[in-house]
Amino acid sequence: MSLCHVSSSMTAGRGLPCVWRHWALSLLMILGLMLVLGTGLRLLEQRTDDPLYRVIVNGQPLTLDAENHAALSRDIQAMTGDIEARLMARMTPWLEERLDQAFAPLTLAVPDYLDWYYSPGGSYMRLGVALVGDADAWLDEQLHQRLVRPSGIEAALAELQVDYPQRLAREQQGLATELTSTLHERYVSRQVAAEGESEQPVHEFDLDGVLQHALQDGLDTARWSTAAAGGSGAGLLAGRTLARRLGASAAVQGSRMALRSLVVRLGTGTARALATGGATAAATAPTGPGALVAGTLTTAVTLASIAGSEYALLKMQAAIHRPTMQTQLLEAIGEAREASLFFSLETAVSAAAVSQAEQLETQAARRGEGEPAPNAYRILGRLNE
Amino acid sequence: MLQWLKALSWGRYGWLLRRHVHLVLTLGVLLFWSLTGLAVAEILFLPVWVMATQLIVAGSLEAARLRRRAWLGQYLYERSPWHRWLRGGVVMVVRHQLLGVGLALVLLVELRLLPLVCWPVLLLGAVAMVVSRDLLRRRLSRHVIARHVDAVTRRLLMLPTAGLLMIALVMTVLWLPQPYLVGLRWEEALLEHLQGRENDSLLGFFVRVGSTAEITQVWVMQNAMQSLRVANSAALLGWVLLLLTQSAFAWAYVRLLVGADVLCREGRHNGGNVDRSGIRGSSS
Repeated sequence: MSLCHVSSSMTAGRGLPCVWRHWALSLLMILGLMLVLGTGLRLLEQRTDDPLYRVIVNGQPLTLDAENHAALSRDIQAMTGDIEARLMARMTPWLEERLDQAFAPLTLAVPDYLDWYYSPGGSYMRLGVALVGDADAWLDEQLHQRLVRPSGIEAALAELQVDYPQRLAREQQGLATELTSTLHERYVSRQVAAEGESEQPVHEFDLDGVLQHALQDGLDTARWSTAAAGGSGAGLLAGRTLARRLGASAAVQGSRMALRSLVVRLGTGTARALATGGATAAATAPTGPGALVAGTLTTAVTLASIAGSEYALLKMQAAIHRPTMQTQLLEAIGEAREASLFFSLETAVSAAAVSQAEQLETQAARRGEGEPAPNAYRILGRLNE
Repeated sequence: MLQWLKALSWGRYGWLLRRHVHLVLTLGVLLFWSLTGLAVAEILFLPVWVMATQLIVAGSLEAARLRRRAWLGQYLYERSPWHRWLRGGVVMVVRHQLLGVGLALVLLVELRLLPLVCWPVLLLGAVAMVVSRDLLRRRLSRHVIARHVDAVTRRLLMLPTAGLLMIALVMTVLWLPQPYLVGLRWEEALLEHLQGRENDSLLGFFVRVGSTAEITQVWVMQNAMQSLRVANSAALLGWVLLLLTQSAFAWAYVRLLVGADVLCREGRHNGGNVDRSGIRGSSS
């Protein structure tokens, strides 16, 4: 069938080939449509103005047009991008210094502790406790009592925990003030002189308010994490946690192993001595309450002689092991210090800074600022979940 | 089917390509126009629009004439002069031209907004159309009057092909990652994601309108999925908008391909070279 006969009846008498008549008709229609729509668009454009944006920066409102507003939001994103690194750079020296102050007495107390550890009194107490019961717990307790407590590190760290959020807040405030004042300086000259402002729709965005809000949230995060630190032992290492940590170092473990082997040997010796002591007493004093006393005394003397022979061994161990134990204890203290430094920086600062940057970005996105959010949304993926 | 594909030699591929050169050309023009920069697209907007309109109108006019002829043959006497008056004249042509202009506009704007991932779906749709057309014609040629075989084939082909393409496109749209608009107000979503804001031309305006429809639909659907601040009627609106735009797009696309077929056949009947030179002329 042919397309021609219709249009030929329509535009009969002209010389155009019939197919082209349809093309011409389409062209005419489209041109007409374009003309009408184009005129309408021009009219529409004449009647509407660009929207103005008002941003409150550094306590003062700035009125910006769309172009400058986009530039401002780009600047904010660029400046908050490395805010975490900047905050860390500010916090690190201060925290280093405070930790140095806190840990110095602990380092100084190590020789005293070792003096006690290898003194005759200390050695006998160790031996006694190893014989009687749980030497590990007792040694941790001793570490706490004789090394950690005299150094006053518990108080120092607690003080640091209190000071830390305050310092963090001050630094963040400083960063925020810097940010807003820089932005204000940069954009105050690029404002639009708006006439008839009241009738125009102005999009308002309070940067100061958002920053304050973000700071508050970041601070809360910091408080939570420092509060959790005391209990979990992952935080600023204080008190018994520190003692346990020091006790776990290699030298201390080594000395514990030696002590245990000693106890095993002692154990057999003591059993033998007790048996003979008991037997002698039974033979010499057959009746009366004195029999028991005599037997016990004999046992005690035997025990002392055995322990005395072991004591020489212990002394020798001390001469060999004391330097190693000292260096390893110091190393463990250094590690604990590093751990508390990194913990506080990694979690508290970055949590605060990240939440600050995130808050800013989401707030900015919510206010219709900035580039499209990087997040995507899949409807089918969501349905499968 | 597989055997048939294997049996194809290179020479046969060449022959197939030459036989469908009009489709390849049409698709090439559309692909080029949808991927090219805004400046070039603006210059080519008018010729491509005219071409698309023409192809769509050719297909739909043929279908309308076929329908009208069947109706007239059913009810009128052979000798009645009404056959001549009612077989489709100016009114029908203008109506289809108007419809074609609108459909072509939807097609072109959607093509500008279409992500590249959707093109394989479209090309696959074209291939599926060609294959099913050949199969259908072979089946029909034994039963339908030879003069009308092509037209009837195309008429029967339209609905299933466009329907399948629409389903594929809807699934693709649902599967593709969309900009994240959950929790935003509608104006904010528009302010952030509207495309075509940078140019003041008519094409930019159309792109803005299309983009607005797309963002509205995505916004409504996402917020309905999260059951946030969206009433049931609004969620329904999102789905209706999605189905409407995708079905209009798929319908226009298949109409365009079928129309290219119609014009090509007619050109051959009328002596060969008229319509293909027409396609080339409009694309340059």
